Amino acid sequence: MIELRGVSKTVQSGDHPLTILHPLDFSISSGQFVAIVGPSGSGKSTLLGLLAGLDAPTTGQILIDGTDITRLTEDALAKLRGEKIGFVFQFFHLVPSLTAFENILVPMEIAGRRDAVSRARQLLDEVGLSARGHHYPSQLSGGEQQRVAIARALANNPPIILADEPTGNLDSVTGRHVLDLLLEVHRTRRTTLVLVTHDHELAALADVRLVLRDGRPVETPAEAVR
Amino acid sequence: MSFVIRMALREVRASWQRLLFFFVCIAVGVASIVAIRSVIQSVRAGLTAQAQEMTGGDIALRSNNAFTPRTLDMIERERSAGRIATVSNGVEIATMVRPDVTRPLTKMVELRAVDESYPLYGTLTLREGTYSYATLRGRGAIVRPELLAQLGLRVGDRIFIGSQSFEIRGVIASEPGRNLGAFTLGPRVIVDRADLADTGLLSFGTRALHLMLLRVPQQATLSVSQTLTDAFRNDFVRVVGYWQNADRTAESLTRAENYLSLVGLVVLILGGIGVSSVTRVFVQQKIRSIAILKCLGSSSGQVIAVYLTQVLLLGVAGSILGVALAAGIIAALPLIVGDIASMLHVEYGLTGPAVVQGLAIGLLVSMLFSIVPLLEVRRVKPSLLLRQDIPPLPQFDWLKWFVTAAVATALVAVASWQAGSVRVGLLLSAGFVGVAFVLQLAGIALVRAVQPLRYSRSFALRQAVLHVARPGNQTRVILLAVGLGCFFILGVRTLQANLLRDFEVQVGDDAPDMFLIDIQPDQRDRLARLVDDQNGAEGTPSLIPVLRARVTGVKGREVNLESFEQVRGRGSLSREYTITYRPNLQANERVLDGKWWPASPTTGDAAEVSIEESLRQRFEIQIGDEMTFDVLGRAIRARVTSVREVNWRDFRSGGFMFVFRPGIFDGAPHTYIASLKAPRDADVRARLQGAIVAQFPNVSVIDLREVLDTIQGIVNNVTLGVSVVGGLVLLSGVLILVGAVSMTKFRRVYEAAILKTLGASSRLIATMLLLEYGVLGAIAGTVGSLGAIALSWAVARYALDLTWEPAPSITVTGVVATAILVAAIGVLASLDVLRHKPLATLRAE
Repeated sequence: MIELRGVSKTVQSGDHPLTILHPLDFSISSGQFVAIVGPSGSGKSTLLGLLAGLDAPTTGQILIDGTDITRLTEDALAKLRGEKIGFVFQFFHLVPSLTAFENILVPMEIAGRRDAVSRARQLLDEVGLSARGHHYPSQLSGGEQQRVAIARALANNPPIILADEPTGNLDSVTGRHVLDLLLEVHRTRRTTLVLVTHDHELAALADVRLVLRDGRPVETPAEAVR
Repeated sequence: MSFVIRMALREVRASWQRLLFFFVCIAVGVASIVAIRSVIQSVRAGLTAQAQEMTGGDIALRSNNAFTPRTLDMIERERSAGRIATVSNGVEIATMVRPDVTRPLTKMVELRAVDESYPLYGTLTLREGTYSYATLRGRGAIVRPELLAQLGLRVGDRIFIGSQSFEIRGVIASEPGRNLGAFTLGPRVIVDRADLADTGLLSFGTRALHLMLLRVPQQATLSVSQTLTDAFRNDFVRVVGYWQNADRTAESLTRAENYLSLVGLVVLILGGIGVSSVTRVFVQQKIRSIAILKCLGSSSGQVIAVYLTQVLLLGVAGSILGVALAAGIIAALPLIVGDIASMLHVEYGLTGPAVVQGLAIGLLVSMLFSIVPLLEVRRVKPSLLLRQDIPPLPQFDWLKWFVTAAVATALVAVASWQAGSVRVGLLLSAGFVGVAFVLQLAGIALVRAVQPLRYSRSFALRQAVLHVARPGNQTRVILLAVGLGCFFILGVRTLQANLLRDFEVQVGDDAPDMFLIDIQPDQRDRLARLVDDQNGAEGTPSLIPVLRARVTGVKGREVNLESFEQVRGRGSLSREYTITYRPNLQANERVLDGKWWPASPTTGDAAEVSIEESLRQRFEIQIGDEMTFDVLGRAIRARVTSVREVNWRDFRSGGFMFVFRPGIFDGAPHTYIASLKAPRDADVRARLQGAIVAQFPNVSVIDLREVLDTIQGIVNNVTLGVSVVGGLVLLSGVLILVGAVSMTKFRRVYEAAILKTLGASSRLIATMLLLEYGVLGAIAGTVGSLGAIALSWAVARYALDLTWEPAPSITVTGVVATAILVAAIGVLASLDVLRHKPLATLRAE
């Protein structure tokens, strides 16, 4: 369960304060697939970053399973991310100095899991890249990199997956594959999936849609598509 | 924890090549520390173990005069009481030796006359056969091989020592106790003490060192030493126990070890500065990876731990490489400086404590210098993965300042530990900060000074100048490291040039260049005639009467020393002085205070003495004070009537600390010294020396030209030593340069790609690089040579009292060579930039 209470974000732009996200109340139940849609600059990624505790809101509270993450220190937030949140970025963000296999290992090593190696192998297999584990990100195609990133996001079996335009940097066929993978994970593992996207067709598949424009929601969050 | 170590290992795998040069720097520093410490520690251990050999016995008595009957009685009493087991008597004299043929060759040697019980400790080894007292008996001599080579002699030939002929019966391979490459007046010759009297060398006034070496039962050493010290307190006999010698040797070697290893520390600190700057660049380059790690759940502490572990791993590797280098240097040492092991009778190799220290310091320096830049990891926000953050306003970072202060304190502690003294540690740190600060300021000023060139017509030059001033270009670090190396090398070269020029001036065409000492009064006129005949054109030698005296008391306004024991408490005041008397001041003297006496000799007991100004400064002896001297056992009282300044560098007329008014020493036995200008031609000089020594065997000839050669040799060695230090510093500068280039290369490659797509040829880009590093090198060279000029001027002016002259050829060569070196290395290290194809590079971005 993720709950947002009056969450807003204002940054300093030159001499003027600039509100990227206006106060927002919103909640996501466990196992839901939520799509956040809107044009560039509408505050989608900011909202996703706030949900992951990558950034702190200017006002409001964010509760994940009842814990107000805005009160946590940087290190406690990092720990929370390691345990509960898997993140998939538009630009993959793999560590360039590590192989695909090692990139998947890292979150498990941070969490101190003993079965890290066997699990990383299994995940690599699940995303169809068993043969490419020893390759560095620069030696992989965009789609392959994103599959590695998904495997990494799943490493610690997080209940929540946040994906920031995961297909935005891929061609449509590859993008489709990646998306199928994400949706399959959501279905089979019952993970909460929060997806930021431009793509209204894709958004239509979600349980819940949150449409943002200039930092404000423009449709009622509760609108069910199905 | 395992995450930290695994991640660090992976990071090392990915970036060791870029970081390599900095850790080679650490290796060079560690190698110098380990090599220096190991060798000196081995030598110290070896020499301390041979303290009895070094001393010549358990206890040694030394005197400049023959031992008095009282002394001999005392020793005899102790021996009868069983408190002394064996006594070995000996004499050491610096004298002239010539072959027993009519060849005009002479050589000053250090003669040692020994008795049957010599040596009490250690072994005297000969090249062939074994040494026994019988070898010397009946006018036999054993000599060092250098003497044979210099005089063209062989075993079996005869040499004249004093007025007697000796047969050479052996060649000394090693002599116990004479093993440190200390300054000697000439090669060693050993003869029987029983034969010494006939040589006439012990005639009055000769400078001889009388030695009595004692073997004492173990349990009695301390008490016998104490008894003898007490008994001879007011005599001119020095009593030295072997343990005191050992302590002194150990102490001075420890000091040498600590000071010399500071050289390594300076190199290490430069490496450390390199590590610090590379870590800063490294963190900047790793910002995205750091954000990813944080996003995946790792805390700032864990990420810092990863990179710190990486630095430590490389630091360990660098330090181990340093130890290996040190082992190599030590193994190669005999090839470079000759066989120290057999020269010093010690074994040397890597020592445990030196290795531990080297490793510890290598690690400490790597860690201390990287920790502050690594703190930047805390500021990396994971949100930058979503969008480029607007950087937060810089805040005062308490932790960073606290850590910086702690690191600075730790570095001062490391320096103090290495120097073995907090004071020296602080001085070194302050000196380093000061020099670095000045070099930085000069660097900044010069970088600014070349800025007008950015408006130059040449595109390449404009770009080069812009790059030098660009932030993050490692300009400061390169300037510091290369400039410092340059500073050391040019400084010592300039100083050497000044020193040697000064010596040249001293042995100018009109200055005397040969001194005769120990001339007996009855030889005076004959010797003057002989020199006149042989050396006609050069004029008569001037003969100066000399006596030897000790100060035994001072009754004055500011000092009151009633006994010799109290004088001894004043250090060098108790040494034996050579004194003279004359009616007039010499050309190199000036009265500072008081009045010079009238030309007439003194009458009655009212002796007058003129002192050199340093005696007033150091011992507070004033005009009007009454001094007591022991001159050949006679107590002479004299009133200080003037203080003189002596220009020591003009030694035509000699220089004396004490000059007496004539009259008081009438009738007292004394000797003469003479200074003369000998012919330039080496053969003629040798003939003159040969003639003097043949007729006056007791007279010693000191050839200033030979001494000058020796001094030149020493100056050259010192210069070489300091140049090696400068070379090491320059080497680390070059390593830092290469490292900085490879760290920032990615940016270069990208820029070059853009320029290439805009139409720049590889040639233009190569010219840009060449100019950029050339300008940087020229600035570093200028900074270093300015420092060198200041350093050599200050040392010449204040420490050596020389008139300083610039050495423009050295300065110009230094600046040009540095510019070429830096340009060449900069371009070579950037070859990649030229080779990369632009499209691939731009795509990769």
